[in-house]
Amino acid sequence: MPISPLLSVDGLTASVDEKTILHDVNLNIPAGETHVLMGPNGAGKSTLGHLIMGDPAYTQDAGTILFDGQDMSDLSPDKRSRAGIFLSFQAPVEIPGVPLSSFLRATIAGRPGLEMRGKEFRRRMKELCAELDMDPAYLNRELGVGFSGGEKKKVEMLQLLLLQPKLAILDETDSGLDVDALGVVSRGMDLYRKSTDGTLLIITHNTRILEHLDVDRVHVMVNGRVVREDDASLIDWIDENGFESFERAAENDAAENAR
Amino acid sequence: MEQLKIKHASAMPAPTWSWLRMNDTEISLPAALARGGDIEIEAPDTLLDTASTFEGALAELQEHLDAKRANATDDRACVRAAQMDQEGAGGRETSDGSLGDLDTPALSRYQKRATLEEVAGDVTRAFETGIGMDARSYLNFAAGETVTIATEAGSTGEATIRVTGDAGTTVAASIDAVAAPDSSLSLTIALDAAPGSSDDASSNQGPAGVIGSELRVFAGAHSHVDVTVYVTADAGFVAVDDSGYVLDEGARVQVRHIVLGGGVTATGMAADLRSDTARIDIDTRYLASGSERRDFNYVVRHRGKRTISNIIANGVLAGSSKKCLRGTIDLVHGCKGSEGTERETVLIADEGVENKTVPTILCDEDDVAGNHGATIGHVRPEQLFYLESRGVSSEDAEALFIRAKLEDAALSAPDERIRAAILRLGNRLIDGFAEELEGDAA
Amino acid sequence: MAKQRTEVADIDRTLYDITDSEEGFERLDAGLTPDIVREISERKDEPEWMLDFRLKSLEIYRKMPNPTWGPSIQGLDMDHIVTYVKPNTDQQATWDEVPDDIKNTFERLGIPEAERSYLAGVGAQYDSELVYHNMQDTAAKMGIVYSGIEEALHEPAWEALIRSKFMTLIPPTDHKFAALHGAVWSGGSFVYVPKGVKLDFPLQSYFRLNAKGAGQFEHTLIIVEDDADLHFIEGCSAPKYNVANLHAGAVELFVGKRAHLRYSTIENWSKNMYNLNTKRARVDDEGEIEWISGSFGSHVGYLYPMSVLNGRKSRSSFTGITFAGAGQNLDTGCKVVLNAPDTSATVETKGISKGGGIQTFRSSVVVTPKAEGARVSVSCASLMLDDESRSDTIPAMDVRAKNVDIGHEATIGRIGDDKIFYLMSRGVPEEEARAMIVNGFANPVAKELPLEYAVEMNNLIKLEMEGAIG
Repeated sequence: MPISPLLSVDGLTASVDEKTILHDVNLNIPAGETHVLMGPNGAGKSTLGHLIMGDPAYTQDAGTILFDGQDMSDLSPDKRSRAGIFLSFQAPVEIPGVPLSSFLRATIAGRPGLEMRGKEFRRRMKELCAELDMDPAYLNRELGVGFSGGEKKKVEMLQLLLLQPKLAILDETDSGLDVDALGVVSRGMDLYRKSTDGTLLIITHNTRILEHLDVDRVHVMVNGRVVREDDASLIDWIDENGFESFERAAENDAAENAR
Repeated sequence: MEQLKIKHASAMPAPTWSWLRMNDTEISLPAALARGGDIEIEAPDTLLDTASTFEGALAELQEHLDAKRANATDDRACVRAAQMDQEGAGGRETSDGSLGDLDTPALSRYQKRATLEEVAGDVTRAFETGIGMDARSYLNFAAGETVTIATEAGSTGEATIRVTGDAGTTVAASIDAVAAPDSSLSLTIALDAAPGSSDDASSNQGPAGVIGSELRVFAGAHSHVDVTVYVTADAGFVAVDDSGYVLDEGARVQVRHIVLGGGVTATGMAADLRSDTARIDIDTRYLASGSERRDFNYVVRHRGKRTISNIIANGVLAGSSKKCLRGTIDLVHGCKGSEGTERETVLIADEGVENKTVPTILCDEDDVAGNHGATIGHVRPEQLFYLESRGVSSEDAEALFIRAKLEDAALSAPDERIRAAILRLGNRLIDGFAEELEGDAA
Repeated sequence: MAKQRTEVADIDRTLYDITDSEEGFERLDAGLTPDIVREISERKDEPEWMLDFRLKSLEIYRKMPNPTWGPSIQGLDMDHIVTYVKPNTDQQATWDEVPDDIKNTFERLGIPEAERSYLAGVGAQYDSELVYHNMQDTAAKMGIVYSGIEEALHEPAWEALIRSKFMTLIPPTDHKFAALHGAVWSGGSFVYVPKGVKLDFPLQSYFRLNAKGAGQFEHTLIIVEDDADLHFIEGCSAPKYNVANLHAGAVELFVGKRAHLRYSTIENWSKNMYNLNTKRARVDDEGEIEWISGSFGSHVGYLYPMSVLNGRKSRSSFTGITFAGAGQNLDTGCKVVLNAPDTSATVETKGISKGGGIQTFRSSVVVTPKAEGARVSVSCASLMLDDESRSDTIPAMDVRAKNVDIGHEATIGRIGDDKIFYLMSRGVPEEEARAMIVNGFANPVAKELPLEYAVEMNNLIKLEMEGAIG
């Protein structure tokens, strides 16, 4: 019997404002693997990421989200974070008046093995900034306020490296548009994989971000359903053929169901 | 202890219902305080050794304005109404009780005063400070003398004024700042009172002491003036920060009020954007905890054309603290092309907090834009989700906001003494605050 | 008195107290005496308690100062207040006596002949009464009581209920004109909607008010019991000709659990009117009050409908528009008290000023410590149509509860030249283009009104825009 995966999404159906946007989604990610979630715009990829993290904007109507053997369904996002899930955002939200350093301290407070006192914290921050080629002066700036695209990504990757989650869900739907951001994310993923035996779920519709990455499995999502799962070779195929065939198949299915 | 009361302080120009108790505030001061003297003014001699005066600057501005003034009679309805009323009570009534002139609106007291002031066009008489005349007199008396800090045309200058309070005393600075055309002047005012002497303050004897500053600023044509006030006093002290600004053509003024401590604080500022294209940006950050009280009154009068103002206030209220912020943007007739914006964000971290906000816009001109907004309550949902997704619970988020207010101020403190005062305050509220932050600013 | 007060004991009493005692008291007792009040009461053949109430109110009235923050009421002949109070001897005014601007408004609005002839004198009341009775019959079948409040006071079945509610929401101590109202009120409507009864057409008070000829101090008392639903329309949009120039009515609304009341008003008084009207609603658990309010006309207006959300999850929404033209100073807005958990309120107002007119939006939002989880959203927009007019926005917020979400947005500006240019470039004359834009600005209010009132409101705006009135 295979060991149970780190993340196991089973029969997940979810809605926003009483409109169902995910239908019976299944997704398993064993520890240590790198998975990719692909699909056209509006397929529900980011929604899935937010649901795994517990975004209260969405309602989980059916199914389960098991992480590390524990049911996440009723846990608030901070509990899921402390259980070891990390979701990168397209960009951190702006929180005026809160310096980045104050925020980072709060994220590690009370985490066994991660909590650091003053000097230790600053040393670690310097290290991480150096690794990400980030000016430490940013630590004194207000979170998200006036940051460029690349800087915002650096802030997200900095947290990924600081928190060392068991599972990192990187929502990079739009990163392909920004060359700077793309570089930052690649570097962040690289460092994360090196420093931990981390597990990755990369959400994207752009295959460029996946170059030089050792991908284990690829999941394709269309219209709120996972329609295909395969090994890394699927990436090249999608690169050439796009998502049209999946979308057509989904339409045909829908048409058949309607009959 | 006998109390001295400054009544009707920080009154908003256009009052509203009195039962709300927001129209003004009353500042209670111990009556028997000695006049203290620990005021340090750190400024190069070139700034202090000056013949410029605030009054002189206003008189000169008045001359320019009078020269430009058109002599056409103004027969707008509000002007007719204000002048009619002035001719004697009941002037508009006819003997049979019917109304004489229905095309003339019945003005409120405020509207009448505003119209008459506008017609008079007198810079000196219109000059005001945020807290008002009584506070001004008190602070000027406590200060003893007024120090004038002035720049030469085209020059750059920097000054720091430190007012350090002590139990049993009133310590106040009275400053006139005059920035000559095309010059830059940067002022830092630190109102601090160390906790050492305040053991008796917590025993409900009323405030241990008073610190304050009275500031008048004239920003000459195309000058840049930067004023930052830190209030880091202990809870036993009353801090009174009163100021009034007059801006000539193209002047740029940036004001920062960072109010982190003080049992009772009153911050009041009024700005007269008298000449065209003047601009003022006001950035207020405050924190109140325990049973502290914060009072703010901002009045910005747009009189010149294409003038701009921004009032941004951001605060956290904890414990059983109380706060009232009055912000008035007055778009005076003739200020065509002007824009005023006012925005306040308040985080209420504890039950028992009292938060009052009145963001007023007065508008007597059509080609203008006035905007205000207020967000009061808790952390916004999208912010909260982000914080939670990184492991910060909603309870921790509130603690983070309080802490961040202090850390932000400490990180951006202009010098070691102000930074030390913020750390001292932080230590009082949060265990190991200073230790945690040590070296961060480096 | 004391017993009635307990009805609102849950609300912080200090909210209602006039506290600014330092203002000089004006003793304006000339004319209005206890004897006159007794005379009013006697003629109405009222219960003893009502006379006592009137006399106490009169005392309060004499002690109270005039408001100091709003438009001047100097022009109001307060020394001869009795002339406003005395039963209106000029009621039989003929159409010829109606001022021209109002007559013109009628012509252009196309007010039906019946209403016009009614306004011209007592002789035409029949048509109005007929309309009223028709409505009463339909409503009566559902158990709804809709009658004159004075008549209801003579019904033993209703006297006790009225006594327990009358001026408990608006106590005479509230402000000077509430006290005056308490002393000399006359006429008005009483509406009672029993539990669970939902009326799906609106009740209107327009005809009723005029039929009684008691417009100046009318008292409206509406009780909507649990799970009931009512839409009440007050005043209509037709301008009212009043010989007297003071209106100090009072409206008290009691909304039960899960009940819903929509109260729509378009006030378009003639421009010699000092309109100092007070309206207030108290809402129980999960109930809802909706105010739709249009203020046109009047020389001076003080009008701030107030919602007191006393029940858990109760709601209030206020949608208002105020148009101040030449010679007018209209100080309008609303008040909301959120006094229970999870209550919510929305406020959306539009203000327009033109031709030297003055328009003030004034509001208060009070969130008491009991109102954890309260949600409030206030948005007000003001439009300046020229540079001689004035528009002030004075919104006060007092928040004392945790986990609340209070948002406030306000804007002031004028019609963008680009919009006018765009419309003109498509062949729309400038005047029409402006009216079109102003109507669009007013649309959020218009769309909440029954169609015929929305049409009339648009016509009113059009008239104001043409400068044909006032």
